Amino acid sequence: MADTTKAGEPTDATPNVSDVRVAEVKSEEQAVAALDEHVDRGEPILQVRNLVKHFPLTQGILIKRQIGAVKAVDGISFDLYQGETLGIVGESGCGKSTVAKLLMNLERATAGEIFYKGQDITKLSGRALKAVRRNIQMIFQDPYTSLNPRMTVGDIIGEPFDIHPEVAPKGDRRRRVKELLDVVGLNPEYINRYPHQFSGGQRQRIGIARGLALNPEVIICDEPVSALDVSVQAQVINLMERLQDEFNLSYIFIAHDLSIVRHISDRVGVMYLGRMAEIGTDEQIYDHPTHPYTQALLSAVPVPDPDAREHRDRIILTGDVPSPANPPSGCRFRTRCWKAQDKCAEETPLLAIPERFKSSDSPAAHESACHFAEEKDVVHAA
Amino acid sequence: MLLEVRDLRVEFRARDGVAHAVNGVTCQVDAGETLAVLGESGSGKSVTAQTVMGILDTPPGRITGGEILFRGQDLLKLKEDERRRIRGAEMAMIFQDALSALNPVLTVGDQLGEMFVVHLGTSRKDARARAVELMDRVRIPAAAQRVRDYPHQFSGGMRQRIMIAMALALEPALVIADEPTTALDVTVQAQVMDLLAELQREYRMGLVLITHDLGVVADVADRIAVMYAGRIVESAPVHDLYKAPAHPYTRGLLDSIPRLDLKGRELYAIKGLPPSLTRIPPGCAFHPRCPMARDVCRTDPPPLYEVDEQRGSACHFWRECLDG
Repeated sequence: MADTTKAGEPTDATPNVSDVRVAEVKSEEQAVAALDEHVDRGEPILQVRNLVKHFPLTQGILIKRQIGAVKAVDGISFDLYQGETLGIVGESGCGKSTVAKLLMNLERATAGEIFYKGQDITKLSGRALKAVRRNIQMIFQDPYTSLNPRMTVGDIIGEPFDIHPEVAPKGDRRRRVKELLDVVGLNPEYINRYPHQFSGGQRQRIGIARGLALNPEVIICDEPVSALDVSVQAQVINLMERLQDEFNLSYIFIAHDLSIVRHISDRVGVMYLGRMAEIGTDEQIYDHPTHPYTQALLSAVPVPDPDAREHRDRIILTGDVPSPANPPSGCRFRTRCWKAQDKCAEETPLLAIPERFKSSDSPAAHESACHFAEEKDVVHAA
Repeated sequence: MLLEVRDLRVEFRARDGVAHAVNGVTCQVDAGETLAVLGESGSGKSVTAQTVMGILDTPPGRITGGEILFRGQDLLKLKEDERRRIRGAEMAMIFQDALSALNPVLTVGDQLGEMFVVHLGTSRKDARARAVELMDRVRIPAAAQRVRDYPHQFSGGMRQRIMIAMALALEPALVIADEPTTALDVTVQAQVMDLLAELQREYRMGLVLITHDLGVVADVADRIAVMYAGRIVESAPVHDLYKAPAHPYTRGLLDSIPRLDLKGRELYAIKGLPPSLTRIPPGCAFHPRCPMARDVCRTDPPPLYEVDEQRGSACHFWRECLDG
């Protein structure tokens, strides 16, 4: 069994990702300088390797004992290339938001590495960490709670400059903020208004302007449009695509709306219970899914076409997602999978190109963590 | 006709004026039929549902006009204790957020059984047995044990099943489901919608499904009513509407769905924002955002024109819209 490991063992051989070129840095100056280096389009800018985050579960009030752990993220690896959008989809509790927080360094990883331009950011501190944080920014889901109601729009968008004064000198800030407001399609005159004077879509634009303030290279978008009305979602998606072209941004786009993810992403990763189930280009994932979970997920999405409902081949999963505190052994999806056999409980399937597709150049030849990976077109099923 | 709403009007007194939430809604639902009410937040779809159910808070809300005919009887003319007998027994509601709609300090068995105790005078013991039966009907595993559990001990999908069980307990003729699957994940959403559709067929209920999801509508609805700024702007059988919308707002919504063949291109976006309900634009409420707007749209509010026997559109230029 070349591409399987024993249940519970960390999965380390992931052929789907490129080699990490670790940057040689001896001093903090060198580390900071290395972070300013230019990365060409098509080169990996962010490389995640075997990332793990376990949240301890404790019992007792005074003397706390660890009785287990919520395995929110349990060994995932992927690359983000310069200028691309990587979509991450999955249901609630699959760990996609925890991945976002780990990439932002807002949570400390339990194990694994995140290489940004060849440096492991999970081990950085001080000035080097500050420089990384300038280059990786975030757009949040809820435009109502992610803006401070007592600050003006100008203060909200300008606040990043307080922490990184080198980006915009003091006298220049108001001009920069007005520029940013203009870039995201808001009237620069609104600089002295407060968040409550704006609608949801406009607030999300303010959040985007704040994310852009420090000229970052990577923006992590955690459900950026799911709180918005349908007619406003399209406006914000168009804005994000325009900004990506204009500023050469790389996006990690986390969402549960599969049609929006397909529209904006170059590549898509499907997560289930802390692991990556399948990853590939948008065409590979949507038109040639090989992992049963991806197939079930895609077939469950309601299609806005009433003529399709009679002849759609829907896979209705039974049961709920198991608790990440006590995940099933082997394949995490086996408790809800219609293909599950004994092997699935014993051996953890690795995220790799399935053996049977290895020599083929069909779009089904992409990484899928299933012992019985097999192509099934669920979206076009007639 | 099971339910017929005629020219319903509801307003709210707000600090900055009067919010006109519902401005002349007319719609009907037959037994065994699924009507989807589609609209964005603030379009008045939930207020309409609450008014029909008779659970609108008055004040601040005020029903200023219209009729709600349920089996030919105007509900707005009934006394509160008469309405209470209908509510729950003959018409029931499924709410979006099951965790806040269920009582956290009572077991689900008590809450399900209460329906039978209050409406039918069943004994507590029999009510419990009926509750277990109901939980079985909505396919909750190990119902006999779980009947003693509290709402927080269930997952989101299971809680929504309990909500459905409670709504269907007395086999009502009409069920109003207000965004029943919005809080759920897609794979669980599929399970719950399937269950709801199956039970509806079995009991031949009229179902009013309130949603903002064009995909869910296409999957289950027979007819659609599209709401905008407190009015129904288009109503049509589901196939007709998706094929050729007769109102520019509906057209805009359908066009802004990401489509496969348009990947890499800009999404169509309806410009501007939904209006504030305290300041609804004169004439057609959609005119500031409408690509087809002309002078007449700014002054004359369009009536619901008859497109054909089954379709209506509140657009002066519905013919043009229909032709694309």
